[in-house]
Amino acid sequence: MRAPTSLPDAEHPRLPAGVGLGLRWEFLEELLEAPPLPLAFLEVSPENYMRRGGYYPEALERAGTRYPLVTHGLTLSLGSIEEPAPEFVNELRAEIRRVKSPWHSDHLSFSRTGQRMTHELFPVAFNRNSIHRISERLKRLTDELGVPMLIENITYYMAPGSPEMPEPEFLGELLEASGAGLLLDVNNVFVNAKNHGFDALEFLHRLPLERVAEIHVAGHESSKWDLLIDTHGARVAPSVQELLAWVLARTGPLPVLLERDNNIPPLSELMCEVRELQAVYEQALRSRLRGGNEVGFAASP
Amino acid sequence: MRWGLQQALEAFIERVVFGAEIQVTDPSAVDELLRSLQVSENECQELRLQLPRAVVYRQLVQSTLREAIELALPRLVQRMGGVFDEYLQKFLREAGPRTHYLRDVTAEFLDFSEPLWDADRRVPRWARDLARHEALRIEVAACRHSSFPEVPEELNLAAPVRFTESSRLMHYQYAVHELSAELSDRTEPEARPTDLLVYRSADHDVRYLELSPLAASILGNLLSYQHSLGHALSLAYAEHGVEFNEQQMHSTALLLADLAERGALLGPMHERSQ
Repeated sequence: MRAPTSLPDAEHPRLPAGVGLGLRWEFLEELLEAPPLPLAFLEVSPENYMRRGGYYPEALERAGTRYPLVTHGLTLSLGSIEEPAPEFVNELRAEIRRVKSPWHSDHLSFSRTGQRMTHELFPVAFNRNSIHRISERLKRLTDELGVPMLIENITYYMAPGSPEMPEPEFLGELLEASGAGLLLDVNNVFVNAKNHGFDALEFLHRLPLERVAEIHVAGHESSKWDLLIDTHGARVAPSVQELLAWVLARTGPLPVLLERDNNIPPLSELMCEVRELQAVYEQALRSRLRGGNEVGFAASP
Repeated sequence: MRWGLQQALEAFIERVVFGAEIQVTDPSAVDELLRSLQVSENECQELRLQLPRAVVYRQLVQSTLREAIELALPRLVQRMGGVFDEYLQKFLREAGPRTHYLRDVTAEFLDFSEPLWDADRRVPRWARDLARHEALRIEVAACRHSSFPEVPEELNLAAPVRFTESSRLMHYQYAVHELSAELSDRTEPEARPTDLLVYRSADHDVRYLELSPLAASILGNLLSYQHSLGHALSLAYAEHGVEFNEQQMHSTALLLADLAERGALLGPMHERSQ
Protein backbone atom coordinates (compact mmCIF):
# COMPACT_ATOMS: atom_id res chain seq x y z
CA MET A 1 0.00 0.00 0.00
CA ARG A 2 1.35 3.37 -0.97
CA ALA A 3 1.30 6.33 1.35
CA PRO A 4 -2.24 7.77 1.54
CA THR A 5 -1.59 10.98 -0.36
CA SER A 6 -0.64 8.95 -3.41
CA LEU A 7 -3.98 7.16 -3.40
CA PRO A 8 -5.86 8.82 -6.22
CA ASP A 9 -9.18 7.08 -6.01
CA ALA A 10 -12.43 8.55 -4.75
CA GLU A 11 -12.65 5.95 -2.01
CA HIS A 12 -9.70 7.55 -0.28
CA PRO A 13 -9.88 11.28 -0.89
CA ARG A 14 -6.83 13.32 -0.09
CA LEU A 15 -6.51 15.99 2.52
CA PRO A 16 -5.65 19.34 0.96
CA ALA A 17 -1.98 20.25 1.10
CA GLY A 18 -1.08 23.38 3.02
CA VAL A 19 -1.24 24.51 6.61
CA GLY A 20 -4.11 23.45 8.84
CA LEU A 21 -4.93 23.92 12.51
CA GLY A 22 -5.76 21.61 15.37
CA LEU A 23 -9.33 22.43 16.31
CA ARG A 24 -9.68 23.43 19.96
CA TRP A 25 -12.78 24.41 21.90
CA GLU A 26 -11.18 27.61 23.09
CA PHE A 27 -11.68 29.17 19.64
CA LEU A 28 -14.27 26.90 18.05
CA GLU A 29 -17.14 29.35 18.30
CA GLU A 30 -15.05 32.22 16.98
CA LEU A 31 -13.89 30.08 14.08
CA LEU A 32 -17.46 29.23 13.15
CA GLU A 33 -18.59 32.84 13.26
CA ALA A 34 -15.64 34.18 11.25
CA PRO A 35 -15.57 34.39 7.46
CA PRO A 36 -13.64 31.49 5.88
CA LEU A 37 -10.07 31.51 7.14
CA PRO A 38 -7.00 30.52 5.08
CA LEU A 39 -6.80 27.04 6.60
CA ALA A 40 -6.25 23.96 4.47
CA PHE A 41 -7.99 21.70 7.00
CA LEU A 42 -8.81 21.17 10.67
CA GLU A 43 -7.60 18.23 12.75
CA VAL A 44 -9.72 16.82 15.56
CA SER A 45 -9.18 14.27 18.30
CA PRO A 46 -12.16 11.96 17.98
CA GLU A 47 -12.08 10.93 21.66
CA ASN A 48 -13.21 14.47 22.48
CA TYR A 49 -16.40 13.98 20.48
CA MET A 50 -17.19 10.29 20.81
CA ARG A 51 -20.01 9.27 23.18
CA ARG A 52 -20.91 12.89 23.37
CA GLY A 53 -23.89 15.08 22.63
CA GLY A 54 -24.51 18.75 23.17
CA TYR A 55 -22.78 21.77 21.75
CA TYR A 56 -19.41 20.43 20.62
CA PRO A 57 -20.44 17.60 18.26
CA GLU A 58 -22.97 19.92 16.67
CA ALA A 59 -20.33 22.63 16.29
CA LEU A 60 -17.92 20.09 14.80
CA GLU A 61 -20.53 19.19 12.21
CA ARG A 62 -20.81 22.87 11.28
CA ALA A 63 -17.02 23.15 11.12
CA GLY A 64 -17.02 20.19 8.73
CA THR A 65 -19.24 22.07 6.29
CA ARG A 66 -16.63 24.83 6.08
CA TYR A 67 -13.28 23.03 6.32
CA PRO A 68 -12.00 19.53 5.54
CA LEU A 69 -11.62 17.53 8.75
CA VAL A 70 -9.13 14.81 9.64
CA THR A 71 -9.03 12.67 12.77
CA HIS A 72 -5.96 12.26 14.98
CA GLY A 73 -6.47 9.85 17.85
CA LEU A 74 -5.06 9.77 21.37
CA THR A 75 -5.81 6.42 22.96
CA LEU A 76 -5.58 3.51 20.49
CA SER A 77 -2.33 2.58 22.25
CA LEU A 78 -1.02 1.03 19.05
CA GLY A 79 2.11 -0.31 20.74
CA SER A 80 0.51 -2.06 23.73
CA ILE A 81 0.63 -5.80 24.23
CA GLU A 82 -3.15 -5.76 24.64
CA GLU A 83 -5.44 -5.14 21.69
CA PRO A 84 -7.66 -2.06 21.55
CA ALA A 85 -11.15 -2.80 22.86
CA PRO A 86 -13.52 -3.75 20.00
CA GLU A 87 -16.22 -1.47 21.38
CA PHE A 88 -13.83 1.48 21.25
CA VAL A 89 -12.76 0.65 17.69
CA ASN A 90 -16.41 0.46 16.59
CA GLU A 91 -17.17 3.85 18.11
CA LEU A 92 -14.03 5.28 16.54
CA ARG A 93 -15.05 3.99 13.13
CA ALA A 94 -18.43 5.71 13.46
CA GLU A 95 -16.78 9.00 14.39
CA ILE A 96 -14.27 8.81 11.51
CA ARG A 97 -17.18 8.28 9.12
CA ARG A 98 -19.19 11.06 10.69
CA VAL A 99 -16.47 13.64 10.05
CA LYS A 100 -15.53 12.06 6.70
CA SER A 101 -11.86 11.87 7.58
CA PRO A 102 -9.68 10.64 4.68
CA TRP A 103 -7.48 8.70 7.10
CA HIS A 104 -6.97 8.16 10.80
CA SER A 105 -3.72 8.73 12.66
CA ASP A 106 -2.58 7.84 16.15
CA HIS A 107 0.73 7.65 17.91
CA LEU A 108 3.41 5.00 17.67
CA SER A 109 3.33 4.51 21.43
CA PHE A 110 1.57 2.74 24.24
CA SER A 111 -0.83 4.50 26.61
CA ARG A 112 -2.30 1.50 28.36
CA THR A 113 -0.43 -0.43 31.02
CA GLY A 114 -2.40 -3.54 31.92
CA GLN A 115 -5.93 -2.32 32.57
CA ARG A 116 -4.93 1.26 33.33
CA MET A 117 -5.09 4.04 30.75
CA THR A 118 -2.33 6.56 31.41
CA HIS A 119 -3.53 9.28 29.01
CA GLU A 120 0.16 9.78 28.13
CA LEU A 121 2.31 8.47 25.27
CA PHE A 122 5.16 6.05 26.05
CA PRO A 123 7.78 4.76 23.59
CA VAL A 124 7.50 1.19 22.36
CA ALA A 125 10.41 -1.23 22.28
CA PHE A 126 12.33 -0.77 19.02
CA ASN A 127 12.51 -4.44 18.11
CA ARG A 128 11.13 -6.97 15.67
CA ASN A 129 8.49 -8.21 18.09
CA SER A 130 7.06 -4.68 18.10
CA ILE A 131 7.22 -4.48 14.32
CA HIS A 132 5.31 -7.73 13.96
CA ARG A 133 2.72 -6.95 16.64
CA ILE A 134 2.06 -3.37 15.58
CA SER A 135 2.08 -3.98 11.82
CA GLU A 136 -0.51 -6.76 12.16
CA ARG A 137 -2.60 -4.46 14.35
CA LEU A 138 -2.36 -1.61 11.84
CA LYS A 139 -3.49 -3.87 9.00
CA ARG A 140 -6.49 -5.02 11.05
CA LEU A 141 -7.35 -1.45 12.04
CA THR A 142 -7.15 -0.29 8.43
CA ASP A 143 -9.83 -2.89 7.61
CA GLU A 144 -11.92 -2.25 10.73
CA LEU A 145 -11.84 1.54 10.52
CA GLY A 146 -12.27 1.59 6.76
CA VAL A 147 -9.63 4.26 6.15
CA PRO A 148 -5.85 4.28 5.76
CA MET A 149 -3.83 4.53 8.96
CA LEU A 150 -0.99 6.90 9.74
CA ILE A 151 1.36 6.51 12.68
CA GLU A 152 3.01 9.49 14.36
CA ASN A 153 6.53 9.50 15.82
CA ILE A 154 6.32 10.65 19.44
CA THR A 155 8.46 12.60 21.86
CA TYR A 156 9.84 10.27 24.51
CA TYR A 157 11.67 11.28 27.68
CA MET A 158 13.05 7.84 28.52
CA ALA A 159 14.61 5.43 26.05
CA PRO A 160 12.51 2.24 25.72
CA GLY A 161 15.15 -0.24 26.80
CA SER A 162 17.87 -1.66 24.56
CA PRO A 163 16.90 -1.22 20.89
CA GLU A 164 17.43 -3.95 18.29
CA MET A 165 17.67 -1.16 15.71
CA PRO A 166 17.75 2.64 15.59
CA GLU A 167 14.42 4.45 15.56
CA PRO A 168 14.51 5.59 11.88
CA GLU A 169 15.07 2.03 10.71
CA PHE A 170 12.42 0.75 13.14
CA LEU A 171 9.93 3.24 11.70
CA GLY A 172 10.89 2.34 8.13
CA GLU A 173 10.47 -1.40 8.66
CA LEU A 174 7.18 -0.92 10.50
CA LEU A 175 5.76 1.29 7.75
CA GLU A 176 6.83 -1.22 5.10
CA ALA A 177 5.37 -4.18 6.99
CA SER A 178 2.08 -2.45 7.81
CA GLY A 179 1.44 -0.36 4.71
CA ALA A 180 0.64 2.58 6.95
CA GLY A 181 1.66 6.13 6.23
CA LEU A 182 3.80 8.33 8.43
CA LEU A 183 2.56 11.41 10.26
CA LEU A 184 5.93 13.06 10.75
CA ASP A 185 6.07 15.34 13.76
CA VAL A 186 9.18 17.43 13.23
CA ASN A 187 8.92 19.08 16.66
CA ASN A 188 9.08 15.61 18.21
CA VAL A 189 12.21 14.85 16.19
CA PHE A 190 13.77 18.10 17.39
CA VAL A 191 12.85 17.55 21.06
CA ASN A 192 14.10 13.95 21.02
CA ALA A 193 17.33 15.04 19.33
CA LYS A 194 18.00 17.56 22.08
CA ASN A 195 16.95 15.26 24.92
CA HIS A 196 18.77 12.17 23.70
CA GLY A 197 21.78 13.74 22.00
CA PHE A 198 21.41 12.89 18.33
CA ASP A 199 21.32 14.96 15.14
CA ALA A 200 17.79 15.80 13.98
CA LEU A 201 18.75 16.18 10.33
CA GLU A 202 20.63 12.91 10.27
CA PHE A 203 17.53 11.26 11.78
CA LEU A 204 15.29 12.74 9.09
CA HIS A 205 17.73 11.67 6.35
CA ARG A 206 17.22 8.06 7.39
CA LEU A 207 13.43 8.14 7.33
CA PRO A 208 11.43 6.88 4.36
CA LEU A 209 10.14 10.35 3.48
CA GLU A 210 8.11 8.95 0.58
CA ARG A 211 5.77 7.52 3.24
CA VAL A 212 5.06 10.87 4.90
CA ALA A 213 1.39 11.73 4.40
CA GLU A 214 1.07 14.55 6.92
CA ILE A 215 3.40 16.71 9.02
CA HIS A 216 2.86 18.09 12.52
CA VAL A 217 4.56 21.16 13.95
CA ALA A 218 4.19 22.37 17.52
CA GLY A 219 5.94 24.27 20.27
CA HIS A 220 8.10 22.92 23.07
CA GLU A 221 9.39 24.37 26.33
CA SER A 222 12.24 23.95 28.77
CA SER A 223 11.44 22.32 32.08
CA LYS A 224 12.71 21.88 35.61
CA TRP A 225 13.99 18.44 34.63
CA ASP A 226 16.67 19.66 32.22
CA LEU A 227 14.55 18.30 29.38
CA LEU A 228 12.66 19.93 26.58
CA ILE A 229 9.00 19.02 26.97
CA ASP A 230 6.64 18.70 24.03
CA THR A 231 3.99 20.92 25.60
CA HIS A 232 2.22 22.16 22.47
CA GLY A 233 2.05 25.30 24.55
CA ALA A 234 4.32 27.69 22.66
CA ARG A 235 5.01 29.00 19.16
CA VAL A 236 6.82 26.72 16.76
CA ALA A 237 10.55 27.38 17.22
CA PRO A 238 12.58 28.63 14.23
CA SER A 239 14.70 25.46 14.33
CA VAL A 240 11.55 23.36 13.96
CA GLN A 241 10.36 25.56 11.10
CA GLU A 242 13.67 24.82 9.39
CA LEU A 243 13.13 21.09 9.81
CA LEU A 244 9.67 21.52 8.30
CA ALA A 245 11.16 23.31 5.31
CA TRP A 246 13.84 20.66 4.90
CA VAL A 247 11.24 17.90 4.80
CA LEU A 248 8.89 19.73 2.40
CA ALA A 249 11.75 20.45 0.00
CA ARG A 250 12.08 16.68 -0.31
CA THR A 251 8.49 15.49 -0.11
CA GLY A 252 6.68 18.17 -2.04
CA PRO A 253 3.25 19.47 -1.01
CA LEU A 254 1.70 17.88 2.06
CA PRO A 255 -0.86 18.75 4.74
CA VAL A 256 0.97 20.46 7.62
CA LEU A 257 -0.77 20.82 10.95
CA LEU A 258 -0.09 23.45 13.60
CA GLU A 259 -0.77 21.88 17.01
CA ARG A 260 -1.51 24.19 19.92
CA ASP A 261 -3.08 22.51 22.97
CA ASN A 262 -1.96 24.64 25.90
CA ASN A 263 -1.63 28.36 26.62
CA ILE A 264 -3.88 28.81 23.62
CA PRO A 265 -3.71 32.40 22.34
CA PRO A 266 -6.54 34.22 20.57
CA LEU A 267 -7.50 32.85 17.17
CA SER A 268 -6.09 35.96 15.47
CA GLU A 269 -2.67 35.19 16.94
CA LEU A 270 -2.89 31.55 15.89
CA MET A 271 -3.76 32.62 12.37
CA CYS A 272 -0.65 34.84 12.32
CA GLU A 273 1.39 31.76 13.07
CA VAL A 274 -0.49 29.78 10.41
CA ARG A 275 0.38 32.45 7.86
CA GLU A 276 4.01 32.41 8.98
CA LEU A 277 4.11 28.63 8.53
CA GLN A 278 2.39 28.92 5.16
CA ALA A 279 5.20 31.27 4.05
CA VAL A 280 7.78 28.70 5.18
CA TYR A 281 5.79 26.04 3.34
CA GLU A 282 5.68 27.99 0.08
CA GLN A 283 9.33 28.94 0.24
CA ALA A 284 10.29 25.30 0.76
CA LEU A 285 8.22 24.21 -2.25
CA ARG A 286 9.73 26.96 -4.41
CA SER A 287 13.21 25.74 -3.52
CA ARG A 288 12.11 22.23 -4.47
CA LEU A 289 10.90 23.45 -7.85
CA ARG A 290 14.27 25.09 -8.44
CA GLY A 291 15.66 21.58 -8.09
CA GLY A 292 18.20 22.12 -5.39
CA ASN A 293 18.61 21.54 -1.69
CA GLU A 294 18.35 25.27 -1.25
CA VAL A 295 16.70 24.92 2.08
CA GLY A 296 19.80 25.22 4.13
CA PHE A 297 19.91 24.29 7.71
CA ALA A 298 22.16 25.82 10.28
CA ALA A 299 24.05 23.41 12.48
CA SER A 300 21.71 22.06 15.15
CA PRO A 301 21.67 24.55 18.02
CA MET B 1 10.12 -17.24 32.26
CA ARG B 2 11.58 -14.06 30.85
CA TRP B 3 9.32 -11.28 29.76
CA GLY B 4 9.57 -9.60 26.42
CA LEU B 5 10.85 -6.04 26.51
CA GLN B 6 7.46 -4.48 25.71
CA GLN B 7 5.78 -6.38 28.55
CA ALA B 8 8.54 -5.24 30.89
CA LEU B 9 8.21 -1.63 29.72
CA GLU B 10 4.48 -1.63 30.40
CA ALA B 11 4.96 -3.10 33.87
CA PHE B 12 7.82 -0.69 34.57
CA ILE B 13 5.76 2.34 33.58
CA GLU B 14 2.70 1.12 35.47
CA ARG B 15 4.74 0.72 38.64
CA VAL B 16 6.60 4.02 38.33
CA VAL B 17 3.59 6.11 37.29
CA PHE B 18 0.83 4.61 39.43
CA GLY B 19 2.58 2.82 42.26
CA ALA B 20 3.95 4.25 45.47
CA GLU B 21 6.55 6.89 44.69
CA ILE B 22 9.99 5.42 44.07
CA GLN B 23 13.01 7.36 45.23
CA VAL B 24 15.66 6.89 42.54
CA THR B 25 18.28 7.32 45.26
CA ASP B 26 16.91 4.34 47.21
CA PRO B 27 18.83 1.30 45.84
CA SER B 28 16.65 -1.32 47.53
CA ALA B 29 13.45 0.14 46.10
CA VAL B 30 14.98 0.39 42.63
CA ASP B 31 16.34 -3.17 42.84
CA GLU B 32 12.96 -4.50 43.92
CA LEU B 33 11.27 -2.76 40.97
CA LEU B 34 13.78 -4.12 38.46
CA ARG B 35 13.64 -7.67 39.87
CA SER B 36 9.87 -7.66 39.36
CA LEU B 37 10.30 -7.12 35.62
CA GLN B 38 11.77 -10.55 34.84
CA VAL B 39 14.14 -9.33 32.13
CA SER B 40 17.82 -9.90 31.49
CA GLU B 41 20.51 -8.25 33.55
CA ASN B 42 21.40 -6.04 30.56
CA GLU B 43 17.83 -4.80 30.26
CA CYS B 44 17.69 -4.22 34.01
CA GLN B 45 20.74 -2.01 33.82
CA GLU B 46 19.29 -0.10 30.87
CA LEU B 47 16.02 0.51 32.73
CA ARG B 48 17.92 1.49 35.86
CA LEU B 49 19.57 4.24 33.83
CA GLN B 50 16.17 5.36 32.50
CA LEU B 51 14.48 5.51 35.90
CA PRO B 52 15.11 9.24 36.54
CA ARG B 53 13.46 9.99 33.18
CA ALA B 54 10.60 7.58 33.90
CA VAL B 55 9.88 9.47 37.11
CA VAL B 56 9.27 12.57 34.97
CA TYR B 57 6.38 10.70 33.40
CA ARG B 58 4.86 10.13 36.84
CA GLN B 59 4.54 13.87 37.29
CA LEU B 60 3.26 14.44 33.76
CA VAL B 61 0.59 11.72 33.99
CA GLN B 62 -0.60 12.66 37.46
CA SER B 63 -0.70 16.32 36.54
CA THR B 64 -2.87 15.59 33.49
CA LEU B 65 -5.28 13.44 35.49
CA ARG B 66 -5.46 15.89 38.37
CA GLU B 67 -6.20 18.75 35.98
CA ALA B 68 -8.98 16.78 34.31
CA ILE B 69 -10.63 16.04 37.66
CA GLU B 70 -10.16 19.58 38.92
CA LEU B 71 -11.79 20.93 35.76
CA ALA B 72 -14.88 18.86 36.59
CA LEU B 73 -14.84 19.38 40.39
CA PRO B 74 -13.22 22.80 40.93
CA ARG B 75 -14.88 23.72 44.22
CA LEU B 76 -14.62 20.26 45.74
CA VAL B 77 -10.89 20.05 44.95
CA GLN B 78 -10.27 23.49 46.46
CA ARG B 79 -12.32 22.77 49.57
CA MET B 80 -10.87 19.30 50.21
CA GLY B 81 -7.31 20.53 49.64
CA GLY B 82 -4.65 18.01 50.64
CA VAL B 83 -7.28 15.38 51.45
CA PHE B 84 -8.30 15.36 47.80
CA ASP B 85 -4.70 14.71 46.77
CA GLU B 86 -4.51 11.80 49.19
CA TYR B 87 -7.59 10.24 47.64
CA LEU B 88 -6.25 10.90 44.16
CA GLN B 89 -3.05 9.05 45.03
CA LYS B 90 -5.06 6.19 46.52
CA PHE B 91 -7.23 6.01 43.40
CA LEU B 92 -4.18 5.95 41.12
CA ARG B 93 -2.43 3.28 43.20
CA GLU B 94 -5.38 0.96 43.78
CA ALA B 95 -7.54 1.45 40.71
CA GLY B 96 -6.33 3.98 38.17
CA PRO B 97 -8.15 5.29 35.11
CA ARG B 98 -9.55 2.66 32.75
CA THR B 99 -11.48 4.88 30.36
CA HIS B 100 -10.36 6.04 26.91
CA TYR B 101 -12.05 9.36 27.61
CA LEU B 102 -10.23 11.82 29.84
CA ARG B 103 -13.53 13.50 30.75
CA ASP B 104 -14.76 10.22 32.31
CA VAL B 105 -11.80 9.87 34.70
CA THR B 106 -13.72 12.03 37.20
CA ALA B 107 -16.56 9.51 37.38
CA GLU B 108 -14.06 6.68 37.90
CA PHE B 109 -12.37 8.67 40.68
CA LEU B 110 -15.69 9.37 42.41
CA ASP B 111 -16.89 5.76 42.10
CA PHE B 112 -13.70 4.71 43.87
CA SER B 113 -13.43 7.49 46.48
CA GLU B 114 -16.97 8.33 47.58
CA PRO B 115 -17.60 5.06 49.45
CA LEU B 116 -14.47 5.79 51.50
CA TRP B 117 -15.49 9.29 52.51
CA ASP B 118 -18.19 8.26 55.00
CA ALA B 119 -15.58 6.79 57.31
CA ASP B 120 -13.18 9.74 56.97
CA ARG B 121 -13.87 12.59 59.39
CA ARG B 122 -11.68 14.91 57.38
CA VAL B 123 -14.14 14.76 54.47
CA PRO B 124 -17.06 17.14 54.97
CA ARG B 125 -20.50 15.53 55.13
CA TRP B 126 -21.60 17.56 52.13
CA ALA B 127 -18.67 16.48 49.93
CA ARG B 128 -20.64 13.74 48.15
CA ASP B 129 -23.46 16.12 47.26
CA LEU B 130 -21.03 18.77 46.02
CA ALA B 131 -19.06 16.20 44.00
CA ARG B 132 -22.18 14.87 42.32
CA HIS B 133 -23.48 18.38 41.68
CA GLU B 134 -20.26 19.57 40.09
CA ALA B 135 -19.73 16.40 38.05
CA LEU B 136 -23.22 16.75 36.63
CA ARG B 137 -22.29 19.89 34.71
CA ILE B 138 -20.05 18.03 32.26
CA GLU B 139 -22.19 14.89 32.28
CA VAL B 140 -25.38 16.76 31.36
CA ALA B 141 -23.61 19.05 28.87
CA ALA B 142 -22.16 16.03 27.06
CA CYS B 143 -25.17 13.72 27.20
CA ARG B 144 -26.39 12.46 23.86
CA HIS B 145 -29.89 13.67 23.04
CA SER B 146 -32.51 12.69 20.59
CA SER B 147 -33.87 15.68 18.75
CA PHE B 148 -36.45 18.01 20.20
CA PRO B 149 -39.97 17.70 18.74
CA GLU B 150 -40.93 20.70 16.67
CA VAL B 151 -44.48 20.75 17.95
CA PRO B 152 -45.07 19.58 21.53
CA GLU B 153 -47.75 16.91 21.80
CA GLU B 154 -50.52 16.94 24.36
CA LEU B 155 -49.83 14.70 27.35
CA ASN B 156 -51.95 11.62 27.90
CA LEU B 157 -52.72 10.32 31.39
CA ALA B 158 -52.59 6.77 30.05
CA ALA B 159 -49.08 7.09 28.64
CA PRO B 160 -45.66 7.61 30.24
CA VAL B 161 -43.93 10.91 29.66
CA ARG B 162 -40.73 11.33 27.70
CA PHE B 163 -37.91 13.56 28.94
CA THR B 164 -34.65 14.50 27.26
CA GLU B 165 -31.87 12.01 27.94
CA SER B 166 -29.92 14.66 29.83
CA SER B 167 -32.66 15.21 32.44
CA ARG B 168 -31.54 14.13 35.92
CA LEU B 169 -33.42 14.23 39.21
CA MET B 170 -30.96 14.86 42.03
CA HIS B 171 -31.60 14.42 45.76
CA TYR B 172 -29.14 16.17 48.03
CA GLN B 173 -28.93 16.34 51.81
CA TYR B 174 -27.27 19.72 51.55
CA ALA B 175 -28.15 22.80 49.46
CA VAL B 176 -24.87 22.62 47.54
CA HIS B 177 -26.45 24.30 44.52
CA GLU B 178 -26.57 27.53 46.56
CA LEU B 179 -22.80 27.65 47.12
CA SER B 180 -20.92 30.49 45.52
CA ALA B 181 -19.03 29.74 42.31
CA GLU B 182 -16.01 31.54 43.80
CA LEU B 183 -13.24 29.02 44.35
CA SER B 184 -12.01 30.90 47.42
CA ASP B 185 -15.42 30.71 49.12
CA ARG B 186 -15.53 28.36 52.13
CA THR B 187 -19.14 28.88 53.22
CA GLU B 188 -20.67 25.59 54.31
CA PRO B 189 -23.85 24.55 52.49
CA GLU B 190 -27.08 24.53 54.47
CA ALA B 191 -28.11 21.11 55.73
CA ARG B 192 -31.43 21.01 53.89
CA PRO B 193 -32.82 18.13 51.82
CA THR B 194 -32.97 19.46 48.29
CA ASP B 195 -34.39 18.12 45.06
CA LEU B 196 -33.16 19.49 41.76
CA LEU B 197 -34.05 18.78 38.17
CA VAL B 198 -30.91 19.19 36.06
CA TYR B 199 -31.29 19.27 32.28
CA ARG B 200 -29.81 20.65 29.10
CA SER B 201 -31.76 23.24 27.16
CA ALA B 202 -32.17 23.32 23.40
CA ASP B 203 -29.36 25.87 23.21
CA HIS B 204 -27.01 23.54 25.13
CA ASP B 205 -27.06 25.30 28.51
CA VAL B 206 -27.09 23.17 31.65
CA ARG B 207 -29.96 24.36 33.83
CA TYR B 208 -31.05 23.64 37.40
CA LEU B 209 -34.59 23.77 38.81
CA GLU B 210 -35.24 23.38 42.54
CA LEU B 211 -38.37 21.30 43.15
CA SER B 212 -40.91 20.99 45.90
CA PRO B 213 -41.09 17.55 47.55
CA LEU B 214 -44.32 16.78 45.66
CA ALA B 215 -42.85 17.89 42.31
CA ALA B 216 -39.78 15.74 43.01
CA SER B 217 -41.96 12.70 43.69
CA ILE B 218 -43.96 13.27 40.50
CA LEU B 219 -40.81 13.63 38.39
CA GLY B 220 -39.13 10.72 40.12
CA ASN B 221 -42.05 8.49 39.18
CA LEU B 222 -42.13 9.82 35.62
CA LEU B 223 -38.35 9.56 35.10
CA SER B 224 -38.40 5.94 36.16
CA TYR B 225 -40.40 5.31 32.95
CA GLN B 226 -42.29 2.64 34.88
CA HIS B 227 -45.61 4.51 35.14
CA SER B 228 -48.15 6.23 33.00
CA LEU B 229 -48.63 9.92 33.75
CA GLY B 230 -51.86 9.24 35.65
CA HIS B 231 -50.32 6.48 37.76
CA ALA B 232 -47.22 8.56 38.50
CA LEU B 233 -49.41 11.40 39.75
CA SER B 234 -51.59 9.09 41.88
CA LEU B 235 -48.54 7.60 43.58
CA ALA B 236 -46.98 11.00 44.26
CA TYR B 237 -50.20 12.53 45.58
CA ALA B 238 -50.78 9.55 47.86
CA GLU B 239 -47.21 9.72 49.16
CA HIS B 240 -47.66 13.36 50.17
CA GLY B 241 -51.26 13.11 51.36
CA VAL B 242 -52.47 15.34 48.52
CA GLU B 243 -55.97 15.03 47.14
CA PHE B 244 -56.21 14.09 43.45
CA ASN B 245 -58.50 16.97 42.50
CA GLU B 246 -58.90 19.49 39.68
CA GLN B 247 -56.95 22.20 41.47
CA GLN B 248 -54.02 19.90 42.11
CA MET B 249 -54.14 18.65 38.53
CA HIS B 250 -54.03 22.24 37.30
CA SER B 251 -50.97 22.93 39.43
CA THR B 252 -49.29 19.80 38.13
CA ALA B 253 -50.17 20.74 34.56
CA LEU B 254 -48.43 24.09 35.05
CA LEU B 255 -45.32 22.26 36.30
CA LEU B 256 -45.27 19.96 33.28
CA ALA B 257 -45.95 22.82 30.86
CA ASP B 258 -43.04 24.71 32.39
CA LEU B 259 -40.76 21.70 31.92
CA ALA B 260 -41.86 21.43 28.29
CA GLU B 261 -41.12 25.09 27.72
CA ARG B 262 -37.70 24.62 29.30
CA GLY B 263 -37.01 21.77 26.88
CA ALA B 264 -36.70 19.03 29.50
CA LEU B 265 -40.04 17.37 28.83
CA LEU B 266 -40.63 16.17 25.28
CA GLY B 267 -44.16 14.79 25.33
CA PRO B 268 -45.96 11.49 25.72
CA MET B 269 -43.97 8.36 25.21
CA HIS B 270 -45.19 6.28 22.31
CA GLU B 271 -44.27 2.63 21.93
CA ARG B 272 -42.10 3.36 18.88
CA SER B 273 -40.07 6.03 20.71
CA GLN B 274 -39.12 3.81 23.67
